[in-house]
Parts: sequence; C-alpha cells; structure tokens
Amino acid sequence: MKKFLTTAFLFTLATFAFAEGTAATVATKSLFEGQFLAHLSLAIAAAGCGLAQGKAVVAACEGIARNPQAAGNIRTTMIIGLALIEALVIYVLVAAFAVK
Amino acid sequence: MEHHASYLATLLTNLLHLARHPWGSFAHGQALSILERYDHLFAAVLATLVIMALALATRIKLSRIPGPFQQTMEFLITFVRNLVADNIAHHPDRYVPLIGTLGLFILLNNLFGLAPGLPSGTGNWNVTLACALVVFFYYNFHGMKSQGFLRYLGHFAGPVWFLWWLMWPLEILGLLSRILSHSLRLFGNIAGEHVVSLIFFTLVPLLVPVPLMVMGLFFGMIQAFVFIMLATIYVSGAVSHDH
Repeated sequence: MKKFLTTAFLFTLATFAFAEGTAATVATKSLFEGQFLAHLSLAIAAAGCGLAQGKAVVAACEGIARNPQAAGNIRTTMIIGLALIEALVIYVLVAAFAVK
Repeated sequence: MEHHASYLATLLTNLLHLARHPWGSFAHGQALSILERYDHLFAAVLATLVIMALALATRIKLSRIPGPFQQTMEFLITFVRNLVADNIAHHPDRYVPLIGTLGLFILLNNLFGLAPGLPSGTGNWNVTLACALVVFFYYNFHGMKSQGFLRYLGHFAGPVWFLWWLMWPLEILGLLSRILSHSLRLFGNIAGEHVVSLIFFTLVPLLVPVPLMVMGLFFGMIQAFVFIMLATIYVSGAVSHDH
C-alpha cells in the first residue's frame, strides 16, 4: 500500500514537472497536457473511489450478516454513502469533460 | 463536448420542415433546428407528457379492485411515500407529490437515454440543474415556513452558540454547494454512461454493449432513487425542529 502510494505520488510529481518543462520551452503539444492529464486524474480518482466503496460495501455486508433484519436500512444507507463517494469521481469526470 | 442530435429530433425536424440555422459557437457552428439544438428540453417535455398520460390513465380507470396497471402505479406511490415517511416525521404526505414527480421525471429521462433514437434530458446539465434548483428552493421555503424565517437562518449557527461566526458561513457555503453536488452527480453519472456506451458502440457495435446497457438500466434507477432520497434528506433536515 505504502509502496503504491509512493509510486503514485512520484508519478504525479513527474507529471507536473514534465508539464511545466514543456510549457516553458516550445508551443509543441505535449503528452502531459490537457486531455491526457484529465484522463490520468480520472484514473487516480477512480482508484481512490474503488478503495473507498470497497470498504463501505464490506462494512455493509458484515452488518447484514450479523443482523439480517436490519438489511433494508443498511442497504439504503449504503446506497446513499456509495452515491456520495461516487460523486467525488463524478466531479473529476465533469472536469475531464470540460477540458478540451 | 460535441453535440449529437437525437434521431427522433432529426426525424421530427425533417417531417415538420423546421428551419435549420447555425448556432454561433455551438457544435462548431453547425446548422441545427430548434428541436435538435434543445433536444434535452424536448426529452424533458416528452417525459412530462408521459407522466401526465400515466397519471390520467390511472385516474380515469381508478377502481376498488385494481388491475395490473393500477397496482404498478400504486406500488410506485407507496414506495415514494414509505421513503418520505421514513425520513420526515411530521406531515410526510405534504412532500410526497413533488418528490414522487421528480423521481418519475428523472427515472423516465434516464431510461430515455438508453432507448436508441430518443433524446435524454438528464444527460445535460441544464435539466439536472433545474431539478436541483427546484429542490433547493423547495426545502428552503418549507424550512422557513415550518421554523420561521429567523429561526431557520439561525439553525445554521450550530449547537454551540459561541462558534456561530465559524459555523454559519460554513453551513451557508455547504447549503449552496448542495445545488452543485446534487445536480452534477446525476448529470455526471448519466452523461458518463452515455459516453462509455458510445465508445463501446464504436468499438464493437454488436452484442458487446448490451451488458453495459443493462448496467445503465440499473444505474438509471439507482440514480433516480438517490436523487429523491437526497431531496428527502434535505427536506427533512430543513423542516425538523425540536419542540
């Protein structure tokens, strides 16, 4: 987990470094600009969302397994929570739409 | 984003001989008729007409021994009523009409997006923003009505009185950002679903997109449910007060 996060962090830093380096030199179209960056950020957001939603669903499943009678309430709350988590990725998606 | 006019709008434009003219910077200055340009509003009007037709058909043939159609409609209404009554303690029936209508409207618009050739309203931010704004004004109005104007503004200050200068601006900011999150969640889900199915259709046009569209059916229902659920929670947060 730690290794993964470190790699992701370094990669993000490298991305920004590349973006600044190319912007300073010439007006040539770089890979690390515009849409590519938007898609990369969407991938990062989706990875975080996957982890978070997985945790939420695990907790809900454990709750239902321990107390099956509360399944209805737990399911509703879980769906609301999932929608709220998902909304964060949706913001990035909308931002990715906005990038030309 | 590019603009893809729905097949139905194009067909109606050709049938009715509507005038096409370029729309400035929109869709690369392409010549579109008014139906093709505003086909999200077209879808919204279509959904409204379908809902009205369903309601009238139920109303006319209302009977004590319900047929399958009336039972389906009763199931929908009972579903929304239970949802609202679970979250709002006082007078839940007051809020059922708006929330139920919103749910039906959004559900129909989501499902329109899956039918080939039909325009989809909720795949456009304008329509979802309108829905979110309606909900925003609705729950603020009801909050002010049930708590009183000053008490409603005061309840944003939080439970600890000497922190009001910190809590009040934050709560107001949160209140305003609800419009954005409420509308963007629905729009992003439906538009993203459309983009993904478009990509799948260009990759493999046969059979492969079908499971994706089944998932779209499921997500369309979930998103409509989430929208009305959040609207209910917002209303219950605004109207609830301790005696």
